[in-house]
Amino acid sequence: MYKLTRLVTVADPAGVAALADEIHALATAHAAYRQLVAPTLVGSHFGGDLLAHFAFDDAVQRADFDAALAPLLTTPAVVSVDGVAYQSGLGGRSDPGLANGVYRVLLLSVDEGADPVVVARFEGETRMMPHYIPAIRNWQLSRADKAVGARRWTHIWEQEYADASGLMGPYMMHPYHWARIDRWFDPECPDRIVDARLCHSFCALEASIL
Amino acid sequence: MTTDDTAAAPMVHAIDEIVAKPGEGKALLGDYLARYAPGARARGMTLEQILVSPPMWLDDQSNTLVFRWSLADAGAWWQMRFVGGNDPDVAAWWADVDPRAVSRRRFFASAPADIERLCDV
Repeated sequence: MYKLTRLVTVADPAGVAALADEIHALATAHAAYRQLVAPTLVGSHFGGDLLAHFAFDDAVQRADFDAALAPLLTTPAVVSVDGVAYQSGLGGRSDPGLANGVYRVLLLSVDEGADPVVVARFEGETRMMPHYIPAIRNWQLSRADKAVGARRWTHIWEQEYADASGLMGPYMMHPYHWARIDRWFDPECPDRIVDARLCHSFCALEASIL
Repeated sequence: MTTDDTAAAPMVHAIDEIVAKPGEGKALLGDYLARYAPGARARGMTLEQILVSPPMWLDDQSNTLVFRWSLADAGAWWQMRFVGGNDPDVAAWWADVDPRAVSRRRFFASAPADIERLCDV
């Protein structure tokens, strides 16, 4: 699956709904296999005001849509955009029928020149988070093909939860997160390989998209 | 599982293990206490223990310095992490330390009796 995500920060949050409607209609016209276009929830950090996520059957469809979307995101109403194009990485689903949940995406940037063996270890440990933290219902870790925004985003870590408390509670507070995984992000830990600037964005989800 | 809501939240520990370059151990310990420890305390960390191995100052070989800090609970850990992770003085400190060290580790731990409660989130 060929995916595209855009985290859009707007000048006037009152305009989010209209922009979401435009983007949604455009994605439908471009035969997006799946799409999620929704305002971000409080607690997002560098996550934009609008989370827009799309999946296509092939790279050409995705590129065509990306080109069509660009003019909507380069108007004065849009302050900034962080985003990625990527192919689905490894993931899993413990609740494929999840409805009325929460979708969360983390865009992160691994240092250029990081040892590929170390990066693979980081990826492997990250993919084990749902094993230890069952509140993560569905998940996928992918590498970016193309990135826009504040960093050259290298990875996309997507999760779905039954509700926001699964993200704020078990995901954040489980020791597998803070005492194990976070060392890849922590500037005080010599294992750190991930840039401190992250995009943490989440929104309401009607049905699973992973 | 059952938990006792009246009990204090499980304490967590942050442990720095620094293998100093030969002859650097004593000076590095002094700098750690003078330059790093005050800020760490301000971030909610309590310095519980310092260990030096071997228990003598070596001038031609490495001393290993171990600092064990405690934090009130996992929430306090995140508070420490957010403040320290965004403090350029902290980053500058570790950038100064690393050339003076053969190796360094920071890891996080708890007492075994606290594992079940820490994982019950």
